[in-house]
Amino acid sequence: MNRAAQTPVLSVRRLVVELRGDGHRTRAVDRIDFDLYAGEILALVGESGSGKSKTAEAVMGLIDPARGIVTADCIRLGDTDLHGLGESALRRIRGRDLSMVFQEPMTALDPVFSCGEQLAALYRRHRGYDRRRARQAAALMFARIGFSDPEQVMRSYPHHLSGGMRQRVIVAMALSCRPRVLIADEPTTALDVTTQARVLTQMIALAGETGTALLLITHDLGIVAQYCDRALVMRRGRLVEDAAVRDLFRAPQSPYTAELIAASRGAGA
Amino acid sequence: MSRLNRESAPAGLLAVRHLDVHYHLAGSARRMLQAVCDVSFDIRRGEILAVVGESGSGKTSLARAILGLVEPSGGTLGFDGVDLRGPGRRVAGRRIQAVFQDPLASLSPRRTVLQSVREPLDHLRIGPAPERGDRALEALETAGLDRALAGRYPHELSGGQRQRVALARAIAPRPELIVADEPLSSLDLTVQHRMVRLIRDLGARMNIAFLFISHDLSVVRQLADRVAVMYLGRFVESGPAAAIFDRPAHPYTRSLLDAVPVADPAHPRPRVPVGDAASPLTPPAGCVFHSRCEAAMPRCAEQPPTEQEIGDRTPEGTGHRASCHLWTQ
Repeated sequence: MNRAAQTPVLSVRRLVVELRGDGHRTRAVDRIDFDLYAGEILALVGESGSGKSKTAEAVMGLIDPARGIVTADCIRLGDTDLHGLGESALRRIRGRDLSMVFQEPMTALDPVFSCGEQLAALYRRHRGYDRRRARQAAALMFARIGFSDPEQVMRSYPHHLSGGMRQRVIVAMALSCRPRVLIADEPTTALDVTTQARVLTQMIALAGETGTALLLITHDLGIVAQYCDRALVMRRGRLVEDAAVRDLFRAPQSPYTAELIAASRGAGA
Repeated sequence: MSRLNRESAPAGLLAVRHLDVHYHLAGSARRMLQAVCDVSFDIRRGEILAVVGESGSGKTSLARAILGLVEPSGGTLGFDGVDLRGPGRRVAGRRIQAVFQDPLASLSPRRTVLQSVREPLDHLRIGPAPERGDRALEALETAGLDRALAGRYPHELSGGQRQRVALARAIAPRPELIVADEPLSSLDLTVQHRMVRLIRDLGARMNIAFLFISHDLSVVRQLADRVAVMYLGRFVESGPAAAIFDRPAHPYTRSLLDAVPVADPAHPRPRVPVGDAASPLTPPAGCVFHSRCEAAMPRCAEQPPTEQEIGDRTPEGTGHRASCHLWTQ
């Protein structure tokens, strides 16, 4: 792909996240620059404490000002600079142009509404569909994320479903409004390996259909190698590498990336 | 080779025979969940046996039964000639220690590292009291921790350090068997890698056997001498780790291995397996895996397969076994 000719869908420059602790400040994210291009699957790799989740939360505008300060030259989604936007403007963008999926699907679902009601509500809010049309759109979306019986999922409440099924419901919801960017933070870490393969495969296929670029946060180099186009490697708040996946595994530029690869290859499999 | 022959194996430490763990469901005296069904295996001294499977496979129930945390519904648990289900459990029990997934949950927040590691020595009255402190310090060092950390509290440590404390606590009483349930799952990759080396080293140096419960096949491949694959409460395949990973015999084992993403872009993408795991509340008739099996034949829905030796037999009798009609003549 010739990137020089392309405009990124998401462009982040000099992003800094400082967290306020008891009496001291820590720099969780330290002057990060990156671009995400249309149709791309970009991995954000790092170990715990590397700042990868804080980067995602800062892009989403989810960092509580009481707990942390976000500064940046820009966090641009298309033509809009998200940095400095007010909460009400951000709320209109989140879910519609910019979506996020977390590790634990239960926290993102409301236990008192059926999965169908929750997805239909998104179509009504963001697309202005009437009740009937929203319901049809929801059932169609569940079919597209690979449920063999979408009507049954429509009627199910979150606690009826297995972890993998819940995560697919969340992915369907996150992609329902055809966002430009989906940020998925360790979406399969809590799942079994067989379920992980299903969720990732279907999430990537559906993101392809909706034209959504994917920022996939993971600690798993296997997921990076198998599913992603390009990877950012973070360590202690800094970006230590930004490379196409093929180059990353063939000739890692940072010794830390090399160590991560060696650790996963020691893992063999 | 029959199970009876294996019972007399000289180096056998743990001998599990026909173990069942059933749970009665709340609100019904008759509905039962069969978490572990007719499981038999041995662990030899110093050997690392990994039990792998998806959530709901019964692997944690198996670990809990061996630790005496749940009462088996049937079968026998022999430990170095002692029946663990009888009065011998109290004495033999100290020779078995445990490590769990979340070290924060198993270490007291109000005890220092040294106090936590020393606690089982006091509790089990191991060695003269004045020497227990030294012994606990020694265990810390064996687990790869600096003595300088002995006065710290769990919240002052990293995840990897905490899990080393949990491991030091398990090895301090010099057990012969450690049952470890997902001990590395919450750790970062590089930390996991170092812990795997430590556990292998401990097993060899102190001749400690491990029953290692894990859903992470990459870790198991690095760590285990032998592997058992569990599905809906049954061992569907077991054998030397190399045989399981390089020549998996059971379609379920194959589907598990094919789903692991490999850290090499040239490797084929993980395969998405057929269907979700069946519920242990309503296990399918016949072979419990037939509803998800790509190689299922008519008889698989009717008749449960029996365990077959499928080659790779070694003089010690540590064969490669599978319960699958593909291997039944």
